[in-house]
Amino acid sequence: MFHQPRDPRSPSVPFTFEGQACEATAGQTVAAALMGAGHLTLRESIVSGSPRAAYCMMGVCFECLVEIDGHPNQQACMVLIREGMQIKRQSRPLGE
Amino acid sequence: MNQEQADVVIIGGGVIGASLGYGLTKRQARVIILDREDFRLTASRGNFGLVWVQSKGFGMPRYAQWSQEAAERWPAFSEQLESETGLALSYQQTGGFEMCLGEEEFAQREAFLEQMRQQSLTGTYPCTMMTREAMQERMPRIELGPRVSGGSFCAYDGIVNPLHLLKALHEGFAQQGGEFHPGHTVQTIRPTGRGFQIETETQRYEAAKLVFASGLATTQLAGLVGLQVPVAPQRGQVLVTERTERIFPFATGRIRQNADGSFMLGASHEDVGYDLATTNEVMQEIATHAIEVFPALKQLQLIRSWGALRVLTPDQKPVYVESEACPGAYAVTSHSGVSLASLHSTYLPEWILNGQTQPGFDAFHPRRFDVSPAA
Amino acid sequence: MPSYPEYDYVIIGSGPAGMAAAVTARQQGLSVLVLDEQPAVGGQIYRNLEALESDRPDEFRKLGAEYQTASELVRAFRQSGAEHLRGRSVWQIDPDLTIRHLGLVDSGTTVPSGCRAKRLLIAIGAMERPMPLPGWTLPGVMACTAADVLYKSSGLLPSGQVVLAGSGPLLLLIACRLLDAGVSIGAFLDTNPRGSLLKALPLLPDALKAAGYLTKGAGMLWKLYTSGIPVHSGVDGLEAVGDEQVKKVRFRKEGQWHEVETDLFLLHHGVVPNVQITRQLGCEHRWYEPQRYWEPVLDEWGNTTLDNVAVAGDCGRVCGAAVSELSGHLAALETARALGRLSPTGRDAAAAPFRTQLARQKAVRPFLDALFAPAQPWLVPENEDTVVCRCEEVRVRDLRTVVQHGVQGPDRVKSMIRCGMGPCQARMCGLTVSEVIADERQLSPEDVGYFRIRSPIKPVTLAQLAGLD
Repeated sequence: MFHQPRDPRSPSVPFTFEGQACEATAGQTVAAALMGAGHLTLRESIVSGSPRAAYCMMGVCFECLVEIDGHPNQQACMVLIREGMQIKRQSRPLGE
Repeated sequence: MNQEQADVVIIGGGVIGASLGYGLTKRQARVIILDREDFRLTASRGNFGLVWVQSKGFGMPRYAQWSQEAAERWPAFSEQLESETGLALSYQQTGGFEMCLGEEEFAQREAFLEQMRQQSLTGTYPCTMMTREAMQERMPRIELGPRVSGGSFCAYDGIVNPLHLLKALHEGFAQQGGEFHPGHTVQTIRPTGRGFQIETETQRYEAAKLVFASGLATTQLAGLVGLQVPVAPQRGQVLVTERTERIFPFATGRIRQNADGSFMLGASHEDVGYDLATTNEVMQEIATHAIEVFPALKQLQLIRSWGALRVLTPDQKPVYVESEACPGAYAVTSHSGVSLASLHSTYLPEWILNGQTQPGFDAFHPRRFDVSPAA
Repeated sequence: MPSYPEYDYVIIGSGPAGMAAAVTARQQGLSVLVLDEQPAVGGQIYRNLEALESDRPDEFRKLGAEYQTASELVRAFRQSGAEHLRGRSVWQIDPDLTIRHLGLVDSGTTVPSGCRAKRLLIAIGAMERPMPLPGWTLPGVMACTAADVLYKSSGLLPSGQVVLAGSGPLLLLIACRLLDAGVSIGAFLDTNPRGSLLKALPLLPDALKAAGYLTKGAGMLWKLYTSGIPVHSGVDGLEAVGDEQVKKVRFRKEGQWHEVETDLFLLHHGVVPNVQITRQLGCEHRWYEPQRYWEPVLDEWGNTTLDNVAVAGDCGRVCGAAVSELSGHLAALETARALGRLSPTGRDAAAAPFRTQLARQKAVRPFLDALFAPAQPWLVPENEDTVVCRCEEVRVRDLRTVVQHGVQGPDRVKSMIRCGMGPCQARMCGLTVSEVIADERQLSPEDVGYFRIRSPIKPVTLAQLAGLD
């Protein structure tokens, strides 16, 4: 869906999504990193279960909510990807 | 000026005025409700939606009994209102808890229940202490915080959607021929011998009977016909969280989960006049309490907060009174307009229309506030 | 009660307005703190500018002359001595200007913190006007600036086919950028109603004062029309179609529906001020009819109706980067006056050159605002199944029904059917809700009003509210 005209000089940033090893480029937001790794749908609507993905990429729409290192409800488009980050799909807020 | 006639004019279209109007029109009275539409001040739009029995009526056993009776009649009241209007109230008699943190609070609560039992007109009080273990068993899907020592439980307590209740009462009122005149502020009231003449900025009304269900405006307005009904505002702040899966099937006085899955958290009791702002200090306290009771709520997101004003009499218990100087004028005030809707739509209309009162009704007279200087 | 550090001037937002205000305020000797929830300075327009300049200089050069000038502003900001906290989300501002903020997850701590301000500047910029249409919640449907953000900040380009739809200079700009980057564009669907140029022409002479802007626009149009991409004008119906993600776009023009396949569907229908903070504070707002949005009531220095609270940049009135920067300088001069560092005449003298430039830069706006006036189908969706409130999935039909039952204003509608009660706190649906209610009641949105916005400004967890990590 999205690709990166990759600059060989840019450091690569390893992270995991749902336990799977992925790679991003330094300076990317978590949302960009996920989309670059081919993960478009990030969560399901709590009302209908319909698939949702990032919409505005600037912190306004609250669609790109993911769990980062155990913190749920993070706007992926606002957080920079860091090495070793563990990203998960939004689980039930109260956890199970 | 235009003149309108009615059997009863009710000043105030909040949940109390609407309950009275609904009950009066059901008894074939021609009723007009006037409302000044000050949405910031109307308690009916900011409350927690509890239909609550426990803790009410300490020092006034008649009120404790009145609250219980109201809750007993609520299920039938809700069903009838829903079927007549086709509107859902989301009422549930879930049973309610008051949570105790630590052993001392448990002991205090236990002592309180014992006092309520002793004061009770019937010798019983429908509220019992529950240990932490027993409580946890009742709510397997949500864990109690380590400091929760237990609490009191009352099977009559419940929750409703207060906005749907207000809407349904108005709908039922209108269906039964009632007229709602919003945007009217009462300027003058004149007893006429046959009843009362009420003037707003644009309209004149003539009614045989007049009822003040005017919330915070009651003191000023009822004073116009010689009624002394002291009320004052008290702020409560409320937090609403994002939706989540439904895991808390009961309610406490400070924590409830709405039908849509969001949690509503309260409560504060602040004397700040007419200030509706929310404050960080109180919001923090409400959040801290909620997390102490249910640690799982920690990660829930707060979406919105608001402040609303309770309408409190000096002892925080209802006032029902007919004017002696101007018979036919009545005042009804209570900060439990939601809980008491089932009685405000039945017993009170009978009192207003044909003077029929329930036993011990006199307990609600505001002369109880008169303090003799010698005493 | 924690003791928070106090500053003369706290600025929320580090786009052109915020940076300019910081630079000028520091020149006047004020202590300045700039808070921004974004990871880097530059706001939306100059996204990731520092990193681009240093790491991707070729692309940086392609962005044009404005970016080089902006780069000077960023340098001046960095050297100004203003304190800057990035990745900080402001969630509550008290009447006494205690500002509570917390760090985002990558900033090391999420424990709430705060500061106190003698004067506050809100420079949080604008956001895309929501463009509700059937299927717009599908993955793969995005606001067009999202594609710009992905490219500038993260170096990502769409892999498959892209369709762009809407109206406004930004849409054109982004189409040209994508073209330059070799992205495959399936169609450009212009929703500007026919005849809008005619309506806007009377305002053109004034607009020519900013001739450079217009030439640039004409150049982009030329590029688009000669690119070979299917360009459709007068589009008045749009639908995004797909199951798990968008697969095609249906569009209607001249009464006929057509289809085009797509992997990414970019929407744009203008840009509106982000009023979330000014509303939470209780500033007065007024309705701006030419672009159909609410803006805070401001004087010529950006002062709001609240003491010591001012606004600069696009969150006051959408005028673009150049005007935003100038308004930032002016707001800072006024703050210096308010704090006794400048006399009114001193302030006016220092402001004079900024005011001249401001008049010139603003000259193009009335023409642009008229040319790109919001079109009805996107303000009040025709298809009643269209989701208005994305968070709570409230549709046009639900809104109309509850209004027909006598519920009149946005807040009361919200309490009945939950529109505006989700995590985005009405950012995405607020304007549309007012428009639909207005349409149903045959009033202007100005008479209907807007949601009452309350704390928290952005959702915080109960743990954060309670002061825990």
